[in-house]
Amino acid sequence: MIKPRIGVFGLTGCGGCQLEILNLEDDLIDFVNAVDIVHFTEAITEHSDNYEVALIEGSVSTNHDVERLEHIAKVAKIIVAIGACSSTGGLNCLKNLYGVEKAKELVYGDKKDWIDAIETKPIDEYVKVDYYARGCPPTRSEIVDIVKSLIVGKTPEIPNYPVCIECKKLNNTCLYDLGIACMGPVTRAGCNARCPSSISGCEGCRGPIDEPNINAQIDLLKKYGLTVEDIMEGFNLYNACKKITDKSK
Amino acid sequence: MIYKILDKEDYNDFLKKLVENYDFYGPVKKDAAVHDFQKINDVEKIDVDFKRTTVAPAKKLIYPPEETILSYDISDDIEIRSEVQADEKILFGIDACDVNGLAFLDKFFSDEFVDDFYFQKRNKLIIIGLDRMPTETNFSLSLGKEYAREGFDIFLTDLKDRYFVRIGTEKGNNLINKYAKTRDASENDFADYDGYMDNYRKSFKAKADISNFYDNFEIIYDNDKFWSKTAKDCFSCGSCCLVCPTCFCFNVRDDMEINLKKGNKIREWDSCMIPDYGLVAGGHNFRKDKENRLKQRYRCKLKTFVQKFDTYACVGCGRCIETCMAKINIVDDINSVKKEVSV
Repeated sequence: MIKPRIGVFGLTGCGGCQLEILNLEDDLIDFVNAVDIVHFTEAITEHSDNYEVALIEGSVSTNHDVERLEHIAKVAKIIVAIGACSSTGGLNCLKNLYGVEKAKELVYGDKKDWIDAIETKPIDEYVKVDYYARGCPPTRSEIVDIVKSLIVGKTPEIPNYPVCIECKKLNNTCLYDLGIACMGPVTRAGCNARCPSSISGCEGCRGPIDEPNINAQIDLLKKYGLTVEDIMEGFNLYNACKKITDKSK
Repeated sequence: MIYKILDKEDYNDFLKKLVENYDFYGPVKKDAAVHDFQKINDVEKIDVDFKRTTVAPAKKLIYPPEETILSYDISDDIEIRSEVQADEKILFGIDACDVNGLAFLDKFFSDEFVDDFYFQKRNKLIIIGLDRMPTETNFSLSLGKEYAREGFDIFLTDLKDRYFVRIGTEKGNNLINKYAKTRDASENDFADYDGYMDNYRKSFKAKADISNFYDNFEIIYDNDKFWSKTAKDCFSCGSCCLVCPTCFCFNVRDDMEINLKKGNKIREWDSCMIPDYGLVAGGHNFRKDKENRLKQRYRCKLKTFVQKFDTYACVGCGRCIETCMAKINIVDDINSVKKEVSV
């Protein structure tokens, strides 16, 4: 059994995904025993350039991010994207909808030239990503599952079915039956239907399944009285970088 | 079969005693949208006046969405445990469709080998059925599943001032003798029961013309235009399978602790409507397209088990119709197959 050397890195993001690893609670001791953590931006002062697996949170939103990511990719054998920003670009991509220059101006006014911001992209626009622990924040058990799978040498099982499956297993009433719009039918499960279980519509933070039926989702949302603007807002919240194309047609 | 009459004034008392003495599950209003079969501690919570039950169906009591079928510990010696926990339970208030649904699962899980995880729980489940008028989407009459001949311990039919009681097993008989004040059914009671059943059968609005489906399905099978139209809006979300009282497919997942010493094998509900269901080693997928998956579901429900068990694997409860956000309707589709082939 190998004990992989792991580096945990953060690009542009809130740092919450790294925090999820530190929040493993009951599993944390076993987790740090099972792997060799040599770099962890948010948790340890030591730095190392000797790691096999890189867990990366955050989107690529600055030139500095590009440099760091390309360096990490040169060192690491396996790259795991952690969280929505890293996997789909996440909330940061909303900036792109304004245009980078306009967004900089809106936020920083006449100091905008101090800011090294570029168009936001998920990390797989720059480097090959082996696995994704999606979500905002990512599911702790999924991060652990991916690492476990790497240790025992099997492919991690990441759900490629929509949130509906988890809702049904959890005995949740379909939110559409309660008159609440939900992105669940096109969003990748794996969060254990976190939001619908609290009677809050899914916002798609884990990104779409491989073959989302986007046209049917648009029809569905229209039936529930949403406008095209509402619908695009729903799709864009976490997925503005990834143009969702309907492969199911 | 023993036939008895339970007067309305004795009905509540009967249920109360059962709730007091048993782990009792029955229909309760879950929220504004649906009813669910849940554990009952207070007989007043039981609400048999329900229409929608599009959450995990009552089969979850004996075939749960997720269950640990095996635990292992390889810390020192290799230790493997596989225990089924099962206590006696009463399931009250399911209708004839759902009784027939469980009867189908009984057959399926005892076919080639006996599924112990299912039967440990099934054998301890006491079923008290209750007739109710068909919902808008219920088409069980078309499939001959509107009446429960077997698969229950007790079955009640509401004749306004009294219940017509059918006792199907010794267990049911003992329960009645111990907890209910009943009398023998008279000729008059039988006549009223027949009257109820006639009216019940006349009340079905959803009708599927299943005649010749067995052969017609083969004719329509390769008609890509038909299937692409039928499955156009399918989300491949699996909801139809997960609210179905007869769907039996499961996956077994390995859930190892991060210490890599202990773990569980977990059986979980699966759905033939999701893309990865047909994915095999090497990356080939036998049912890559949603059209193929819907077609397969219909074959399984309406054909495969006609060959195997001489019965449909669908009881016509209509839950899949109600739950489908794409408005895919098995009744319409059965009728469309007929129409398409007849042209």
